Amino acid sequence: MPSPAFISILRSDRDEFNARFAAARHLHPDLEPDVFGEFLTTTVDELAQAVEKARADRLGDVMIAAYDAGLQLVGQRLAGPGSRFPCIEEAWRRVLSNAAPVVATAPGQLIPSVCNAVHQLASTAGARPEQWIDAMEKLGRECEDAATFLRLGQLCAWRAGLAHFRNGALAAADALPESLVLTILGAKIRTPWPAMREQFLASPWFNPGNETKPSSAVRAVAQVGTFKGYGGLFIEPPTVTASGEQLFARSDSEYWLLTADIFGATFHRSSVKEFETANQTPKLPHGLEVKGSRIAVAGERLDFPELGEIASAAANTHTLAITSRLTHAITLIALK
Amino acid sequence: MGLLSVFQRVSQSPTNPHPAAKPRTFDVADLYRGPVSTQGDTSDAGTPPLDEKLRQAYFWIVNTAIISPHYDVEYNDGPPQSFVMGDSRSRLTLPSAQSYSSFVLLPLLTFATRRKCLFIGGPGRGKTASAILMGVLGGYSVREVRRAMQHGHPQMTIADLLGNPLPADLINAQRIEDIRISWRQWLGMRVKIIDEYNRIPTRTQSALLTVMGDNYAEILNHIYECPDSAWFLTANDDQGGGTYQVIEALRDRIDVIVQALAFNPRFLRDLLSRIEENIRPEEIVPRQVVFTETEVDRMQEDIRAVKMPKEVRRRVEFFSSQFEFCEVAGDQFEYKTKDTARLAGTEWHVLTAQDTGRDRIKDLGCQTRNGVSVRVLMTLLVYAKALAYFRGNGVVELEDVRQILPFVLHDKLSPDGEAPFFDAPGNGVFRSDRIGWLRKVFDLSCADYDRLNLDRDDPVTELAAEFNRGLDGLTESDARVRLVKIERLIGEWSKGRKLYGHIYDDVLNLKYLHQRYTNYLRWLKTQ
Repeated sequence: MPSPAFISILRSDRDEFNARFAAARHLHPDLEPDVFGEFLTTTVDELAQAVEKARADRLGDVMIAAYDAGLQLVGQRLAGPGSRFPCIEEAWRRVLSNAAPVVATAPGQLIPSVCNAVHQLASTAGARPEQWIDAMEKLGRECEDAATFLRLGQLCAWRAGLAHFRNGALAAADALPESLVLTILGAKIRTPWPAMREQFLASPWFNPGNETKPSSAVRAVAQVGTFKGYGGLFIEPPTVTASGEQLFARSDSEYWLLTADIFGATFHRSSVKEFETANQTPKLPHGLEVKGSRIAVAGERLDFPELGEIASAAANTHTLAITSRLTHAITLIALK
Repeated sequence: MGLLSVFQRVSQSPTNPHPAAKPRTFDVADLYRGPVSTQGDTSDAGTPPLDEKLRQAYFWIVNTAIISPHYDVEYNDGPPQSFVMGDSRSRLTLPSAQSYSSFVLLPLLTFATRRKCLFIGGPGRGKTASAILMGVLGGYSVREVRRAMQHGHPQMTIADLLGNPLPADLINAQRIEDIRISWRQWLGMRVKIIDEYNRIPTRTQSALLTVMGDNYAEILNHIYECPDSAWFLTANDDQGGGTYQVIEALRDRIDVIVQALAFNPRFLRDLLSRIEENIRPEEIVPRQVVFTETEVDRMQEDIRAVKMPKEVRRRVEFFSSQFEFCEVAGDQFEYKTKDTARLAGTEWHVLTAQDTGRDRIKDLGCQTRNGVSVRVLMTLLVYAKALAYFRGNGVVELEDVRQILPFVLHDKLSPDGEAPFFDAPGNGVFRSDRIGWLRKVFDLSCADYDRLNLDRDDPVTELAAEFNRGLDGLTESDARVRLVKIERLIGEWSKGRKLYGHIYDDVLNLKYLHQRYTNYLRWLKTQ
């Protein structure tokens, strides 16, 4: 049963709320009144109760923002029964309700932002929305304002696998309290943030969680991308190429830009033009050799017998990507 | 997200994404962009480039304002899926790249280039509504646009159209210059709408022609200079079904013709929701897609700056050279044109009966009764550039020309329904489908261009390029060598080759070059 305050707000502006529903239904004809009602009386009500306890004076504004966001979510089947992304509703319950005091300061910005962030994590192959929700549930309440909350979300998103946001997340970390940053990054060594930041900039494979000093060994660090039939990206075993610091992958007639670091790997749609342009430049730097199932670099040798013959290899300064005809995954090897 | 903001939502940039030209960067702020809009999303978030704004206007119109689920301007960036259906083996193509509805695209390009667009189609298909939208995009209120719209009717006088002399001045004035004129307000607007222009009496059409063609209005020796503006005219039937026959000069001033296609009843629900929600699209145009006068000025400059590559231009030249030539119309080479025959009033069937044994199916010129005028060619170039600009490109592609050409030539290139081409199997449909016919003719012209290998082997282009490098310092012997080259080429062509339109134009070009070198040699002798 929804809280009395929640019901009172809905009643007091009934015409306006009904008009918003009608407008949303124009955009999303599948918006079902029953499903939306259910969403209101469960997920939104939970947030309303949390806000009422923390900032009762802001409940009206929070309700309007929550109502609008809910219309869009349910209208697009991103919330409610049969939703493709149940983690979005989980984020309402665990992140928004838990951070009610700060959400109440800017509900029109923070509610959609949390929904969009979780949606992006959940729709990016290899990213970990649960990890983001866990971190934000624990730390979101420590934020005093909306800007800090949003920066925290950016850093957590990088940590949860969105490698392409690495540079922006490092910049966001500069503006966050050091203890918060070190907690999110799982630092086991008590290095001051500026020094740790340098290490992150020196190598995308620097791991603050289990290393006392940066490793310099050439080592396999990740296998990314899988067969489309298992929910991955690739229809056929991919091939790779590189242009400067950018790695590209191709599978059948699809092309991707690959970004990867210690926290994850993401693929972004690319074009045949980008791939072919990259293919025209040397794919491997001087001193790096690939033969059969082996690679040799700077006197070190690695063998990948399980891959069979390496079909393609490409490298940037820090990472070597190799593929084989026996697997739909790309093996990433840290060079520095 | 208020009620109105749903209808005023503008498509998110980029509306027509292009492959990244430089290393891609990612903005962490994008983490918070997604399916749920933040409050205040509809406010100005920086000013997008004008081509992006134009695309946003297009997508707002097709998504919200005009129910036109037709994608007849087709683009492909890979092989499209196509299906053959029905007894007549009609081909349905599913384009693989962003494609557009001509009914919205053409008016928008007209708005951006400040040219003249005619909407044709049966009553109640959104012609006037589209024209009004263009006025609102130009920054006018709906009320202003409605009041300024000229409705053609059989009793429409020049005074109705342009304005009246002040009655008091008519009585008191001693000289005609002293009579003040109360000009109609629409003359000063940047978007001009003439509804049902084929219902305007012939005499008033002539006054309209002056405004459309020369951009000024005249009453009692007083002149009103109109600003550059986009024109939108509507006609229920462009084939002479209006109250008055539209004078040819007026028709000729219209740059593009776009047809309102039939309503698809599958979209009846959209109509129903408009009734239920009492929404009139023209009243809720989002301000992000409203253009200021300066913006349209800038857009025109940007469109002019779009490049037309030589390879594309050559194909337009080749295409347009197919139609004007008429071997039996004149004795002297320069007068062997359809226009010569038309001016002499020669009957068309007399001309075709005298034809010289060319392959009348293969010769594209046999399909038309006229050629392509300079004005039409200029319009074609402007609209091709505008389309490339609209698609976010700085260079015109051949497909831009192919897509825009039928709308420019719709009323300008008259088909000869008696031509053998239309009797060929599968071609009968082109008698009624003008757009499809023009696109087909262009395709045939391009195929012929490829067959003749003119991209690689075009001696006339080489000779013209040689000439364009200038005559300064050219010696007499060099000039004579060039003259011999020209004569030899014409000599080769004259050996048993039949004359076609493109050869005719090339021969005239060679004659021009020959004359320039001849004059140069005469001048050299005086030095």
